Amino acid sequence: MSPHAAPHVELRRVTKRYGAFTAISDLSLTVDKGSFTALLGPSGCGKSTLLRMIAGLEPITAGQCFINGAEVTDVDPAKRRIAMVFQSYALYPHMTVRQNIAFSLSIAGASRKEQDARTQEVARILQLEDYLDRRPAELSGGQRQRVAIGRALVRKPEVFLFDEPLSNLDAKLRVQMRLELAKLHAALHSTMIYVTHDQTEAMTLADKIVVLDRGRVAQIGSPLELYNRPANKFVAAFIGSPSMNFFRVGLTAVEEKTASVALPGGRTARVGLGAPPAFAEATVDLGVRPEHLSLVDTHDAEAALSGRIGIVENLGNLTLLYVDTPAGQLIVEGPGDVGSKKGDLVGLKFSAANARLFGADGATL
Amino acid sequence: MTGAVAVADAPLSAASRLMRLRRIDLIGALVTLATLLGAVVWAFPLYWGLVTTFKPETEIVQPGVQLWPRDFTFENYANVLTQTKIGLWYLNSLITSGAVTIIVVAMAASAGYAISQLQFPGRRFFWAMILASFMVPIPALIVNHFVLMSQFGWVNTLQGVVAPQLIAPVTVIIYKQFFDQMPKDFREAAKMDGANEFQLLFRIYLPMNWGVTTALAIITFIAAWNLFLWPFLAVSSEEKLNVAVGITQVHDAFGVQYGRDLAVAMLAALPVAVVYLLFQRRVTQAIMLSAGIKG
Repeated sequence: MSPHAAPHVELRRVTKRYGAFTAISDLSLTVDKGSFTALLGPSGCGKSTLLRMIAGLEPITAGQCFINGAEVTDVDPAKRRIAMVFQSYALYPHMTVRQNIAFSLSIAGASRKEQDARTQEVARILQLEDYLDRRPAELSGGQRQRVAIGRALVRKPEVFLFDEPLSNLDAKLRVQMRLELAKLHAALHSTMIYVTHDQTEAMTLADKIVVLDRGRVAQIGSPLELYNRPANKFVAAFIGSPSMNFFRVGLTAVEEKTASVALPGGRTARVGLGAPPAFAEATVDLGVRPEHLSLVDTHDAEAALSGRIGIVENLGNLTLLYVDTPAGQLIVEGPGDVGSKKGDLVGLKFSAANARLFGADGATL
Repeated sequence: MTGAVAVADAPLSAASRLMRLRRIDLIGALVTLATLLGAVVWAFPLYWGLVTTFKPETEIVQPGVQLWPRDFTFENYANVLTQTKIGLWYLNSLITSGAVTIIVVAMAASAGYAISQLQFPGRRFFWAMILASFMVPIPALIVNHFVLMSQFGWVNTLQGVVAPQLIAPVTVIIYKQFFDQMPKDFREAAKMDGANEFQLLFRIYLPMNWGVTTALAIITFIAAWNLFLWPFLAVSSEEKLNVAVGITQVHDAFGVQYGRDLAVAMLAALPVAVVYLLFQRRVTQAIMLSAGIKG
């Protein structure tokens, strides 16, 4: 939880339509002051549109937007006291780093002295002092990224908006910049809203994640809440890499906190339920994460499924095994020295606490 | 076996490659020669004209081809500079061409920006009008221009020379195309920084398209400098002539004197030649841009 738990940005029942297409549908959201909130979802889920609506770059079709308690639905972007870091960085190529950072101050009519002082301060925070007189073309990807952040920082905004800011960087630099962003947030305690389709970024940076699915909120929660207690099949599938395994099972018995299910292949298993059962479906989807499946002997009493290993991916510290079972191909995450090889016949077990059941509408049972 | 074949093939393929290279070399040499010949044919009249300006009139009219002056003289240039108002014509050309360039670039950039980036009622109509005006050849409007300038009381004035030249749809179209291609992130980032439309145009869009602006400014200047028909019709007094029209007056006033006539032509062409030599790449770019639109 954020140390300052007061709503800072609030969207009330906002909708965004482009002609007949609805990009955001009746969505409400509050972002606490000082929090780092990630808007996460696949391409086309409306996360960037939502961010642009908060920024004022996209008119809101219906609903209201509040920043710091004041309605800003129709307020000009420059007057919302927010700053945005774009995916492309949008650094002005004809200006030096110094001019890029000081641009908003120059537009606001700040004195040259103030512009210099604040640019220097930002450059010091972002370690850009040696690059102030270079142009963006002369900088590396990471440096450009820092200039883009500096341009936002210099305005001393109330809210920082990030639109997939790390997606143009290579994997190594992305990890480094992720760490720098986390440090920056820890140092500034500013409200940050961060759009990404990369769940690792969202999980590592954010204290609250908003998962979006086709313009609606699929779930809001802390990274671990989403991971451990997904509200629906979409979130369960989207969070976690490799993705959760799903297969159809038959319900045989339902008790207060557990259900017995008939697995493909003839065996049965017990699965934990999140709430007292209030459903009557005969078949449901069972979801279990690759790291919660473990290899046992096919004749082991605990083996829920058995199958043959189709593909083995050795990643050094862990191994991914693709096992062909009567339930379909399941991914099993094992240790680096798993000892199994392609073609081996194996049994798979999982515990009741680590499996989830999903109803026909996708909701977690 | 395979190895032996490969070894036997190697010198053969090397030889055929060499043959091909020689053939390409020969074609290259022929093309170079043809280009050189073309350049000589193209440049010779210019050279002939220049050399003639340094010959006395008596030598010029003598039969035969004299590639270099026997009696080298600056007399023709001295005559032109002292007996005509070429200095004033230069100034007039400079004022009118400079004014046309500045106003056309500023207006075209603004219009191109508005049509490309702003949403306002009638935007499509204005764009259609600009495209339509591009279809009308300017000489077809010359009588209308004359009547209009006459009604303004601008005939025989420098502003009368300038005004009809401000119709430059091609420049607007080129600017619009370039502004259309600008990623919208720049615009949005500047908007978030508080920039208004003028600041967006003059601090972001124009500087980011500085190459196009330079190219368009140069070609507009050259076209205005070389313009003959409209200044010829719009101006009657010798003091208001531009260089292009002025040089014809030298011939009319003093009769045919090849050395002097060519000297005045050389002086008239000099600024354009200098501009071209200084900004060769930009001029070529501008011609390509205009050709792209017109093609």
